[in-house]
Amino acid sequence: MLRSSLRRRGLEQPGQDDSNDPLGTLLSLAGRGDQSAFAELYDQLAPLLYGVVLKVVRDPSQSEEVTQEAFIELWRLAPRYDASRGSVRSWAVTLAHRRAIDRVRSEQASRDRTEREAHKRPIQSSDVAEQVVANIDGTRVRKALERLTEIQRQAVELAYFGGHSYREVALLLDVAEGTIKTRIRDGMIRLRDELGVAT
Amino acid sequence: MSGSDIHQLAAAYALDAVDERERAEFEAHYPSCPVCRPEVAGFRETLSQVATAGAVAPAASLKATVMDEISATRQLSPLLPGVVVDLATHRQRRQRMLRTMSVAAALILIALGAFVVGRRSNGGDNGYADAAARVFAEPDVRVATLSGSGTGSFKVAWSPTLEQAVVMGDGLVDPGTGKAYELWMIDGAGPHAMHLLDPADGGQVRKPIAVNGSPTQWAVTVEPKAGVEAPTTDPIFAGAV
Repeated sequence: MLRSSLRRRGLEQPGQDDSNDPLGTLLSLAGRGDQSAFAELYDQLAPLLYGVVLKVVRDPSQSEEVTQEAFIELWRLAPRYDASRGSVRSWAVTLAHRRAIDRVRSEQASRDRTEREAHKRPIQSSDVAEQVVANIDGTRVRKALERLTEIQRQAVELAYFGGHSYREVALLLDVAEGTIKTRIRDGMIRLRDELGVAT
Repeated sequence: MSGSDIHQLAAAYALDAVDERERAEFEAHYPSCPVCRPEVAGFRETLSQVATAGAVAPAASLKATVMDEISATRQLSPLLPGVVVDLATHRQRRQRMLRTMSVAAALILIALGAFVVGRRSNGGDNGYADAAARVFAEPDVRVATLSGSGTGSFKVAWSPTLEQAVVMGDGLVDPGTGKAYELWMIDGAGPHAMHLLDPADGGQVRKPIAVNGSPTQWAVTVEPKAGVEAPTTDPIFAGAV
């Protein structure tokens, strides 16, 4: 009863849980070994984490693997979650994104070597019907992204979803490293302010 | 990286758009930086909202797989406040030392190089000399000097490419009856137990260890001889990678 009401609250207000993080309750229960609390946490976070991993990794079956690893890591680390360092959602996304980046970077070298073969391989179609979760945040985020300058938006997207380091982004956009660092920072500040994230 | 530049990295770091070395440097810096810490938190919150907009439901079967796995996965112990505080203090100390450290590292490298060569000609140890020779031959070797309240000193030389480190302790005292020194690898998730270190006669430790991960710091605590999975005491030696 308590948990399902928490869940409803989490679903309705995904962006406004900073002061009273409903996922925080689930996570602290999970941190004491409560698997059913973790199952609810999974329901809340899975589309979020899988979505971000998929955007970085691209391959659906690899993305599932990475998402799975991220959840195991969340479970392992649950007792160490520190609410003063951010919301559960932000922590979980950070963790999953980091795993996705590590995956694509560790595969970069071998991918470079076998690039030709990879291009010949037919694109794997997933037997999973991926359902894009419709939500009101989509429009809000798109609008916020539109407020960035073209180079800011490209830099942020190439870095976050493309999995490129800022140096690689500088090469891709043909600007100096120092410039790209500033563009990325300016872009993130504007995005943060447009989305009304408290600092 | 100079002290003023490092503040510029908060956004790139939050986007995971930094290389391994910058990541390690920034992770040693930002938790105690009044500018970077809130900036990183704000950017991460921002990105989690961006992620919300791109949510995609995974296959339903994934949940069962995850739940199966976690039921067979041990959770870490919570971090003890003492350890956290100590490490934060150490980070601040480390920032002040950052500039002199590269010079110090170079000097240590030369000294250790000579030492390794000396040991090899003497022969006979636990594989340390070979491991040390290989570690120091890697261009990406990082030498950390651990300091703290303990008597003596520890140094850890680590090569990420080799996933190998060598630990050198000198001038160590007996940790006490039933006690041992335990080495911890610290990353974004906290300390991970690495190895028990038993000083030989003369207070010396020479130990090759396999390193699977990306540590930002090393620390040594005194623990029961059997070893523990999470530190039960404050580190008496600690140092940034």
